[in-house]
Amino acid sequence: MTGQLIVPRRPRWLDVVGVLGIVALGFTVWLGLWITPPDVVQGNLARLLYIHPAIATVALYWAGGVAAGGSLLYLWPRTRSFFWDRLAASAVEVGAVFSALTLVTGSLWGRPVWGVWWTWDARLTSTALLLILEIGYLALRRVPADLDVRAKRCAVAALLVAVDVPIVHFSVDWWNTLHQGGTILDPGFDLHVHGIMLWTMGLSFVAFTLVFVWLLGVRYQVEVLQDAVGDQELEVSLSERWSEDAELVGVGGGPASDGGGDAP
Amino acid sequence: MSYVDAGYAVALGTMLVYAVSLVLRRRRWERALKMSEPVAEPDGAPVRGELS
Repeated sequence: MTGQLIVPRRPRWLDVVGVLGIVALGFTVWLGLWITPPDVVQGNLARLLYIHPAIATVALYWAGGVAAGGSLLYLWPRTRSFFWDRLAASAVEVGAVFSALTLVTGSLWGRPVWGVWWTWDARLTSTALLLILEIGYLALRRVPADLDVRAKRCAVAALLVAVDVPIVHFSVDWWNTLHQGGTILDPGFDLHVHGIMLWTMGLSFVAFTLVFVWLLGVRYQVEVLQDAVGDQELEVSLSERWSEDAELVGVGGGPASDGGGDAP
Repeated sequence: MSYVDAGYAVALGTMLVYAVSLVLRRRRWERALKMSEPVAEPDGAPVRGELS
């Protein structure tokens, strides 16, 4: 089974999403670094919270959701299509970048606030595990195999990665952690952030989501192109092999039809 | 450099580098696809449609 050789054109909407993402990100940085006031308790360090929760949301829910959903849809026979496999693989790679950024920005906030770069806290550990699982998925993806075998293998791996997503989410409820609970909403849906700080945080979620969609779209195109090149190379080598075989039959066929002229 | 500046620089810098690398990868694979497209087949050789 091979993938379709249909290479999609670059969609215009993806460029629009990219531009909107850059503009929204620019506004987020402007508001976060220069316009919003320092926090009463954390001072300027609270400015890191205009990017860290949004990055973590993308890593955990958006990338994790697309990877799990795409893998499920690939495994389900009725919806099986390489589109879902490629989309899931793209989401895992982009998600790995965002997971790494979640850990780094969290660590940069934790050092001055908690006094440590790292602690074996349930939220931090489960997030680090998510990154390790995503790297494992990407390594598995590089193992040479038939496209269908690779897709099934990776879909199962993505579902294993997805098991960690609710663990990360509920880790602050299930265990006593240094990491705080809900940053914006508590379990009673009471807002912890207000005014310009809330708007900036909301904009950061929109900005990083748009950037995620753009990155996912471009990464998906890379995935399609990679598979298409693989298919082309396979066809070319098969074609060459067939040509060689045809020549051999042509050359060797003559004497054989004469009763094996070369035979002693 | 403060922790806040470092956080923004790392986040935005990493995303910029990753985005550029994706665009370059896309360009490279587009070129590879163009290069791997088979040339006109000689008479008698199997055509692509017969293989898939």
